[in-house]
Amino acid sequence: MKYCIALIVLLLVFSFFPVQAALRLDGQDQELRTELDFILHLITREDYDASLYLLERIGDAGRDWSDSLNFLSGWVMYRQKNLELSANKLLKVGKESPVFYKSHFFGAYNLAHIGQHQEAQKVLYNIPVASGSMHEALRCLQLSGLALLQNDLDEYFKYSMSFVGEHHVMVEQERNMESHRRRLEEARTPSPLVAGMLSAAVPGLGRIYAGKTSEGIISFLYVAALGFTSYDFYRGGGAKSPMFIISAGVTGLFYAGNIAGSAVAVRRKNQEFRYEMEQRILFDMHIPLRNAFN
Amino acid sequence: MKWNNVFCLTCIFLCATHSIEKLSAAEDVFEKANTLFADGYFFEAAIEYERIIFLSESPEVRVQSNLKKAESLKQLGSFGKARSDLQRSLNYRGNDSLRLEVLYQFAFCSFMAGFSFEAYATLLHLRNVFKEPHEHRIYLLESLVLTDLMHWEDLRNHLQNWMVNYAENESWTQKTLQAYDDILDKGLRALEIDPERAGILSTFLPGSGQFYAGEAGWGILNAFSQLASLAAFGVMVYNGYYIASFFAGLGPFQSFYFGGIRQAGDLATKNKNSRLNELQTALAQFFFEVEAGLLDY
Repeated sequence: MKYCIALIVLLLVFSFFPVQAALRLDGQDQELRTELDFILHLITREDYDASLYLLERIGDAGRDWSDSLNFLSGWVMYRQKNLELSANKLLKVGKESPVFYKSHFFGAYNLAHIGQHQEAQKVLYNIPVASGSMHEALRCLQLSGLALLQNDLDEYFKYSMSFVGEHHVMVEQERNMESHRRRLEEARTPSPLVAGMLSAAVPGLGRIYAGKTSEGIISFLYVAALGFTSYDFYRGGGAKSPMFIISAGVTGLFYAGNIAGSAVAVRRKNQEFRYEMEQRILFDMHIPLRNAFN
Repeated sequence: MKWNNVFCLTCIFLCATHSIEKLSAAEDVFEKANTLFADGYFFEAAIEYERIIFLSESPEVRVQSNLKKAESLKQLGSFGKARSDLQRSLNYRGNDSLRLEVLYQFAFCSFMAGFSFEAYATLLHLRNVFKEPHEHRIYLLESLVLTDLMHWEDLRNHLQNWMVNYAENESWTQKTLQAYDDILDKGLRALEIDPERAGILSTFLPGSGQFYAGEAGWGILNAFSQLASLAAFGVMVYNGYYIASFFAGLGPFQSFYFGGIRQAGDLATKNKNSRLNELQTALAQFFFEVEAGLLDY
């Protein structure tokens, strides 16, 4: 009898394992959770291609986990600098998700980075924030950055009024935004037309006006040298001399090229300034997001 | 007595069933990944091997899986990634053959990813831990690494060591070492191009630096350009075009002259690098032949 009881206990203990295994197998949630853990492991190892492959493979099975899947896909794409697709995924994360704020702020930032400023603004307006909260301050900072990116100083002042310096994650960036605004306001944007006219009057002067002094001096020396050469041929052989005609033609080409080059130099200089300011503004929009959500 | 027997037999049956289940699970752990690898789905296989690393608690299984993952990544040409993945297993202190394999694969992937110094350091470590003679592939890899690092003297000693360990025929060893010396001597002679010297030659005799660098065509063209611009200068001065002669004669001449000096140096550097590549390729080819010879031996 003693053996019989022991046998029954033994059978019960061993039969418990298959039941437990069956329960585990039945729980699709558990499988998905394990898969997501594995994907997180891959993301930590910066194996982004494999993570995306697995996220896409989950497909319909992850209907109930769509927020997590969208967030992870968006985050991986953000790390891969595939910002348009990243924004698309991140902005699908629902309000109930614990990563809603992170997703939408980063989604808006990604849109700002690829130049879709209006769309980024819309996303930021639609983020529900409590008055006086850090999220509200963060939204103001992002919107002020977007206003600067669009060179809309009135809009910037509307948001910069809310810079209170209360949140340590963005105190420095609030100050930086103000300095960017001042630089944009004070920046002289040279005109390509004026540069061309200056170079027509004195070769190379347009480039000096564009801030490229050494290029201007070299241009002047080239055109002057060609001009003197043409004069020399004219003096010796007259206006019909073939050497004068060739030399004058080359001089004319260089002269005209210098005028066009000055206009291009000004445009390039303006683009360089604009690009530098955009990068600085985007950087100061990005840092508080990393500080606040990581 | 009857109950006693039944109890014992039931215990044996249950334990055996569970043990077999566990055993087959351990054997099957690589099945899916191995099938993907065998079918040529290397990217998917690499993911499955990584999954085994993530899920397994056995250090040996993790190292085995890491090695198999490295194999998949090698098939994809991702040597840098394979190298960084293998780095995880470098601290493994278990099974000796696995440890040797990890060190070899790490050195191999480092070499292929362009980290020759790291590959050499790993091979030195391997040599320190595991006594000679090693497999031919290890000697071959070290030869290639030393060739890449241009450690010619170490390379000769290494070749001699390899031969001593495997080639019993002394005359064959000498013949192989002589062949190595011949390739190296010829290659090093061809490498004796000094870019600075090429520049100096062109300073005093236009075009000669290009000739010295092995680019006769560029030398002739440069010398001709300088002569032509000087001739134009002379003709213009003769005809009284003094200003034009200065800008249209001397101007181009100084461009060709100083440009020629710079070009001679650049060509010498370029040709030196290309000859070094040729030497390294010839040596690599030679080491492959040595390995094939030793394997036949």
